Amino acid sequence: MSNFLRLSNITKRYPGVTALDGVDLEVGQGSVHALMGENGAGKSTLGKVMCGLIQPDEGRITFEGQEVRFHDPGDAVRAGIGMVHQELLFCENLSVAENLCLGDTPHKGPFVDQAEMNRRAQAALDRIGAQVDLNARLGSLPIAVQQMVQIAGAVAKGAKALIFDEPTSSLSFTESERLFELIDQLKSDGVTCLYVSHRMNEIFRLCDTITVLRDGELVATKPASEFDHDSLVSAMIGRELEQLDATSGNQAGQVALSVRDLRSPGKFEGVHFEVRQGEVVGLAGLVGAGRTEVLEAIFGLDSAATGDVSIHGQTLPLRRTDRAISRRIGMVPEDRKRHGLVLGMKIRENETLPILTRLARLGFVQAARERATAQTYFERLRIKAPSMESSAGGLSGGNQQKVVLAKWLAAECDVLMVDEPTRGVDVGAKAEIHEILLEIVAAGKAVLIVSSELPELLRMADRILVFRGGRIVGELPRSDADEEKLIRLMTGVA
Amino acid sequence: MVRQRLKKLINAPQTGLVGVIVGLSIVLSLFAGSYEKGGHSVNVFLNPNTLFQTASDASFFAIMAVGITMVIITGGIDLSIGSIYALCGVLTAIFLRSQVGLQGSDPSLGQFLISGAVCVGIGLGCGLVNGWLVARLKVHPFIITLGTMWVYRGVANVISKGLSVNLPEGLTGIFKATLGLEKGQYPVPLVLMILVTVLGGIYLSKTVAGRKIYAVGGNEAASHYSGIKIGRVQIGVFALSGMLAGVAAFAGCSYYGAASCADAQGYELFVIASAVVGGASLAGGKGTALGAMLGAILIVLMRQSIRTLHFDQNYESIIIGVAVVVAVVLDQASVKLSRRWLDRA
Repeated sequence: MSNFLRLSNITKRYPGVTALDGVDLEVGQGSVHALMGENGAGKSTLGKVMCGLIQPDEGRITFEGQEVRFHDPGDAVRAGIGMVHQELLFCENLSVAENLCLGDTPHKGPFVDQAEMNRRAQAALDRIGAQVDLNARLGSLPIAVQQMVQIAGAVAKGAKALIFDEPTSSLSFTESERLFELIDQLKSDGVTCLYVSHRMNEIFRLCDTITVLRDGELVATKPASEFDHDSLVSAMIGRELEQLDATSGNQAGQVALSVRDLRSPGKFEGVHFEVRQGEVVGLAGLVGAGRTEVLEAIFGLDSAATGDVSIHGQTLPLRRTDRAISRRIGMVPEDRKRHGLVLGMKIRENETLPILTRLARLGFVQAARERATAQTYFERLRIKAPSMESSAGGLSGGNQQKVVLAKWLAAECDVLMVDEPTRGVDVGAKAEIHEILLEIVAAGKAVLIVSSELPELLRMADRILVFRGGRIVGELPRSDADEEKLIRLMTGVA
Repeated sequence: MVRQRLKKLINAPQTGLVGVIVGLSIVLSLFAGSYEKGGHSVNVFLNPNTLFQTASDASFFAIMAVGITMVIITGGIDLSIGSIYALCGVLTAIFLRSQVGLQGSDPSLGQFLISGAVCVGIGLGCGLVNGWLVARLKVHPFIITLGTMWVYRGVANVISKGLSVNLPEGLTGIFKATLGLEKGQYPVPLVLMILVTVLGGIYLSKTVAGRKIYAVGGNEAASHYSGIKIGRVQIGVFALSGMLAGVAAFAGCSYYGAASCADAQGYELFVIASAVVGGASLAGGKGTALGAMLGAILIVLMRQSIRTLHFDQNYESIIIGVAVVVAVVLDQASVKLSRRWLDRA
């Protein structure tokens, strides 16, 4: 069993950091093996070493008793190790069938053999029981379906081991559930799965064995049954996690944000709610239920939205993001790399981007004021970077998210809307981000939080609004909310 | 301390470019040979007249390159600047002739200023049209300015009926003023180039508008989420690019004493090359005014060197084409190298 996949003394150095330091790992055949750790712990790097995306500086890999050396992912695929990557490594502009035959397109002479290609693609999809339109352009399909296609491709190429790198990071609750069933099925077919993730629930749901990495070193490999939530977290961060107590006890003050009959064709309608000062309101729902869309509309990003949004009793013009910002609304978007940050700019420049006019005189940015403001929040959020003059693109996910938060703290928002604030963020940073949000609420600000992680909502929110199909279908005070009730409301299953 | 300063200097993006320009100048001086003049031996390249002439040639490119760099930083492109140049020149020349006639050797200060304003204003107008179309129609700037490139050139053709229009001598006198230097040495375009570069540099690095230009080029969506009005930034950079084409046209046509609808044909490509050689990234988010100026100087210097070293003129395009690609490749490699060097130090 231990002969299946073995890594010995794997070391990978980058200028300035040792990403992996003498890691020894054994993976049993047919198991679901978790790789856990904070961002930067080396778990993704280790996954990439196993599938040939990265070549280690030292160490050996033996696969099925044979020493192997992967120069590129093609080598690994030929040996039988495939990868389901965080950012999908497929061509979005091509069809499902073309993607499934990528690299080995069947042909007659110089022409593509369309019939054979469709046959092979269909066979691949059938093997994992996925139903996908072969001619659909891959990019037009939901992420979850794209992932299915990727898994089908790997299995069809004879993968004996599959590496999943944060596979659920952009999936909804039900989509994740479908993925887990597929992983269970793969396991019973004898395919070994290596599962890289932050999410505790998934790990305990899926995995037999857990390996924890910290700062490039292997901390422990144990059967999942020997870990519980707390011991796993402390193994990952190397210290005990202080239990944060949630918001309760905050006295909600005056109405800060009021939304009346907000609608946007095809997205949501009849949305009606209020958020008070010192209150955290959570928005729950499946992906596409309208949560993010409502935040975007309030923030002036939806040109089709109609309705009435007012802040401190004064009406806010819709479709004007700059006005929303000057009226002290902030938004931490779901996709920080696309919408949250200008990765090529410095941390300082990102922090002050929404408030440049406030920091300027006669059109000139006042350098000293800008530096002082940026430095304040750089320190307050304990962003780990050599200085605030470092580029935002070089930071880890958690630190990037802190920069986005710093940006809106610097804008002194009265209403802060956060969309999946801790997605892809490691445990330590997650706790810090929660702490910061609670701090600003304690200071009398209002927070609106969207999260697909129900424990996060239950812990942070004073009230939870549940969205389904573009409408608010229920409201639960925290005292009355639990995961089961939320899921029922979210899915509409009685 | 010294070491740190040195590191900063070596790491500055323009250091390599300055090095290449200085190196090329040295080579030119060494191989250009010399001629006798009044009992002195004068280097064919390294003499004030040639240097000022090279600087003047570079200045018209550089002024436009500063403008187009702003467009390129936002991730756009402006192909119409050569045509704007021609249109501005032709219209200004016609306007001046209607006002002064050709013989009034000294136009009054008022006339000078008005004609300058007309020329720059027309450029600004053309640029605003470009920007408005890009922002409003949401069509890629390449297409929009490819279209306006032909349209503006066509308007210049129609208005000038294809003829060259002379400018009053007095205007040439201003741009060919020696400012106390010897005959044949004309520093005004050089001064104008430096002025535009300095102002452009300050605009890009110190103002809110400049910061927004970099932000939009770095990540348009994130800028939008930060409350920046993308359309306004786009209109702004195209307006500035057009305006600076107008400035270059006023200086160029006055300097040469005539404007024609065939002026500046193909300049847009030299100007884009200058910006890119100067470190602007067509992917957006990167570029400086100083780089643009240095890029323009380097390209003009290469054209100059073909003449000075008596190469076959027919090879000019080949040499410049290769040099532009090599320059950008070297620039990218040097960024990597210096990063590695910094990591080690």
